Amino acid sequence: MARIGVFVCHCGENIGRTVDCAAVAKRAALLRDVVYAVDYKYMCSDPGQNMIKDAIKEHNLSGVVVASCSPLMHEKTFRRTVTEAGMNPFLCEIANIREHCSWVHEDKPVATEKALDLIRVMVEKVKRDIPLDPIRIPVTKKALVIGGGIAGIQAALDIAEGGKEVILVEKSPSIGGHMAQLSETFPTLDCSQCILTPKMVSANTHKNIKLYTYSEIEKVSGYIGNFNVTIRKKARYIDETLCTGCGICQEKCPQKKIPSEFNEGLGMRKAIYVPFPQAVPNKPVIDREHCTKFINGKCGLCEKICGRKAVRFDQTDSFVNEEVGAIVVATGYDLYTIDKKTDETLKGYGEYGYGKYPDVVSGLQFERLVSASGPTYGELKRPSDGKVPETIVFIQCVGSRDEAKGVSYCSKICCMYTAKHTMLYKHKVHNGQAFVFYMDIRAGGKNYDEFVRRAIEEDGAVYLRGRVSKISEENGKLIVKGADTLSGAQVEISADMVVLATAISAQPDIVPLAQKLGVGYDQYHFLSEAHPKLRPVETNSAGIFLAGACQAPKDIPEAVAQASAAASKVLGLFSSLELEREPYVAKVNESTCVDCEFCLTACPYNAIERKEIKNRKGEVIKVVSHVNEGKCQGCGTCVSICRSKSIDLAGFTDEQVYSQINALFV
Amino acid sequence: MDENFEPKIAAFVCTWCTYTGADLAGTSRLKYEPNVRVLRLPCTGRIDFSLVIKAFENGADGVLISGCHPNDCHYNAGNFHARRRFAVFRKLLEFTGIDPNRVQFSWVSAAEGAKWRDVVNAVTDEIRKLGPFTEYQKLIGDSFPFQHEASETEQNSEKEQVENVK
Amino acid sequence: MSNDKISAEVKKLAGELLESGKVSAVVGYAEGTLKGRVQTFIARKASETEKFIFNQNCANNLAVYLTKSYNIISAGKPVAVFLKPCDIKSVTALIQEHQLKREDIFIIGLSCQGVLNDSGPAGKCRACSMHNPQYYDALIGGVVEEKEPEVTDPFARVKEIESMTTSECWEFWMKEFDKCVRCYACRQACPLCYCEQCIVDKTRPRWIESSAHPIGNLGWHLIRAFHLAGRCIGCGECERVCHQNIPLSLLNMKMSKEIFDLYGYTAGMDEGAKPPLTEFKMEDNEEFIR
Repeated sequence: MARIGVFVCHCGENIGRTVDCAAVAKRAALLRDVVYAVDYKYMCSDPGQNMIKDAIKEHNLSGVVVASCSPLMHEKTFRRTVTEAGMNPFLCEIANIREHCSWVHEDKPVATEKALDLIRVMVEKVKRDIPLDPIRIPVTKKALVIGGGIAGIQAALDIAEGGKEVILVEKSPSIGGHMAQLSETFPTLDCSQCILTPKMVSANTHKNIKLYTYSEIEKVSGYIGNFNVTIRKKARYIDETLCTGCGICQEKCPQKKIPSEFNEGLGMRKAIYVPFPQAVPNKPVIDREHCTKFINGKCGLCEKICGRKAVRFDQTDSFVNEEVGAIVVATGYDLYTIDKKTDETLKGYGEYGYGKYPDVVSGLQFERLVSASGPTYGELKRPSDGKVPETIVFIQCVGSRDEAKGVSYCSKICCMYTAKHTMLYKHKVHNGQAFVFYMDIRAGGKNYDEFVRRAIEEDGAVYLRGRVSKISEENGKLIVKGADTLSGAQVEISADMVVLATAISAQPDIVPLAQKLGVGYDQYHFLSEAHPKLRPVETNSAGIFLAGACQAPKDIPEAVAQASAAASKVLGLFSSLELEREPYVAKVNESTCVDCEFCLTACPYNAIERKEIKNRKGEVIKVVSHVNEGKCQGCGTCVSICRSKSIDLAGFTDEQVYSQINALFV
Repeated sequence: MDENFEPKIAAFVCTWCTYTGADLAGTSRLKYEPNVRVLRLPCTGRIDFSLVIKAFENGADGVLISGCHPNDCHYNAGNFHARRRFAVFRKLLEFTGIDPNRVQFSWVSAAEGAKWRDVVNAVTDEIRKLGPFTEYQKLIGDSFPFQHEASETEQNSEKEQVENVK
Repeated sequence: MSNDKISAEVKKLAGELLESGKVSAVVGYAEGTLKGRVQTFIARKASETEKFIFNQNCANNLAVYLTKSYNIISAGKPVAVFLKPCDIKSVTALIQEHQLKREDIFIIGLSCQGVLNDSGPAGKCRACSMHNPQYYDALIGGVVEEKEPEVTDPFARVKEIESMTTSECWEFWMKEFDKCVRCYACRQACPLCYCEQCIVDKTRPRWIESSAHPIGNLGWHLIRAFHLAGRCIGCGECERVCHQNIPLSLLNMKMSKEIFDLYGYTAGMDEGAKPPLTEFKMEDNEEFIR
């Protein structure tokens, strides 16, 4: 005979305000097989948990229902509580009377009735709970880091330093990411490459890091501790083991009019190229689309000139399989497309003339124009005629905080980098004048506001609070028309250049990757953390962590901090010999299974196998389905597919669900 | 039809998307109709069509099934299997004279607290308009003593005892 | 070819098969105890094959005897079985669902001009466009000419019901289901109802009320129809054996029609195909989903 205890939590006022918890407990006590019911202000507090423990012993309970917040919140807490009182953790169930009841309804009698219904249903379930033991699974102590920008590099280095192997996968030919494109960094104005390149080199040479550049994730299967990842190594058309990176091929390649991705289209590159001089690895790739050899078969100069005979026109994409125990996603960001409507949600800023006027550039393009490694070798010259700009207008929030044309969120870094841009400009062009159109200045961060003040007070940037309505060209000047809302005046500035602080957006190709990984994403395709406050580094897929701007716009210190946090999560995971997994797995009733193999076909994890049952003579007398517990993830698709109900799911058995339905309505 | 009719709706939802989305509706303090009783299952793939029949047999006026959007299933494909199953099952219900609108299906992600509210409100509204499922409930009738194997007697005993307590 | 001639042929072939030891048994038709009725007859010796006949009364789908519970097939030697073209679809489905191995049976394929029921040609035969077996090990009755079916739309009856209002449908079916006495003849006659323990016989939990109560009758017929969705090959045995004359095959045909419309799948045509409700496509219809 079941002996169930019901514990009703007020959650302070959170439940108590709309649910009469005392009445609920009183009535729950009258449910069949409920031998004890009580309400308490905070069930999750120490005294609350002790009440449960004491009641288990005192009333010899066989099962516990805690009516409280969502099971996703405190199921683990209360299961631990009952364990401490010697009860199997899986004999404790949660009735969600907060998120699903008190917080969403206003009428107290109605909410109280519903709370009781929810409890009754869980009492029916817990009566049919059977003790389960967690499944123990081994952990592969090797991590995969996806994305070789600063976040990915930092995560990889931290894990490697922790003594565990790391696979670092980067889709472009070199690691470094956007940080490698930056000239200087706020709020210290130290050279971006100077602080990044040593880390890039360490990532390449660390004995625990295996680097796959120009590679993408093809397929991910498995689960925490036991992922199987297929990596597509895109053909570089170079034998990396032979290439010494001497650069002669790049020098001789006759195709030289290809806009350089690294220089944001402001410089040119060859068809065989290393994206930038400090690239890691310093091995070129052939751009198949622009290479004459691939276009009409005629050139092949690089192949002839290469002393090491490293050029391989016949190379194809290859695939590598890696077993890893944890994954860090650090795929970074992209910039919002300014000039044209890219989809329904983004209408673009045609009135700013980006793409039409060469001297209207994006923030990243400006970085390249002032960078010592940029197309102008650090001398600030405007793209149209190479003239040194005497007036530059910076426009903030291009795309950000603008639901009509762009995105609703704040891109977070633009206030800071615009201030930095005005300073870099002033330091390079002493008589130059910077104007900044802004909405608000958001400079929260260590030494950040001081930095913006310096830009304004020491380097003389003029900040105008307002939006720009139109940019037009007149006699080689850009006429910027806007409003200064503080003075209420219309402003017209004749500028030599305009820099648009464009919104940060998610990587355009992130969704298919997120789907491969089973990681959630929001409406803007930023990846979702498991909890916005308390689990900002984890995802809802166990064993997969986030680092950097793939989650939301972030500056470098934040991206690095999150990368190190992700690395410590990974190292923490790797410090255990085995993992425990909830034992929600399917089980076959071999006596009634008729081997139709529908479950086998439908199982998303290939976790169901054929099993031959033999008699003593070794003759096969029956074939049945068999669930591989290591592979089964507990979705229960097989349970619904099975016509003879010969397969059941622990924790959500047919008997449990059936009796819960029976108890749904009074 | 009874003006004050409040439909009873059973909701079978997956843990990972819809249940979490419904939690979000709660944390966001969104208000919605109290007619739905949620049963949490790991995945829509686990939701057998016979659960729907069982819900009707227990007096439900409507059923809501909800899970992850296509490609977002925590188990990769459970929702795709459920989609096929219920696409066909609805046709069978319709054929036998059960209004298919009594069985509703939605995709509600963990981020869609507001969608959960809207779905619950819309489904409640629709079932309310359809009215009580008297046809099915008449079949149950008084001659059917077996329906609540365990809980029927509980309910009786509970009510009696509650009276006593009061 | 006349009935007598065909019957003579099947007797001869069955005799030869058993005589030569090529098969361990022959499953076929014999004269029934009532005029115009036939019964299943299993011959294990050549001397018993005299009883075999084949004529338009041989409606039974003998594929049902090939399922495991009948235990006629034993390892080592195949069993020969008389199969009409539509019955062969059941065999295809049974192979597809791992209930049967092709090498365990010897198919005596019978070309078929349609079978009779009490009121004339059976409904399924009037819409039949497959008069010759898809495959066989021996063919009896030669190849007959395929002709345009008398009823061009096999789903005409289904569409009639579809055109009714929801409450008309409900009334129609409740009247039909009310007749059900839960004898389960429909299940026993169905070659694809091969479960060792049917869901209706499961008691922990009891999914379907097993007495002939209206709620149990509705539950049973919904579950039976859905369990055959995408699997039923349309032999119509369920309806033929129903002594309460419930139009059961209408439910099965409705499912076949929907499965074909939604997923382009016809049951019993390809033993290698994945059953439609065990797989999915990304682009599957989801109009009904909010």
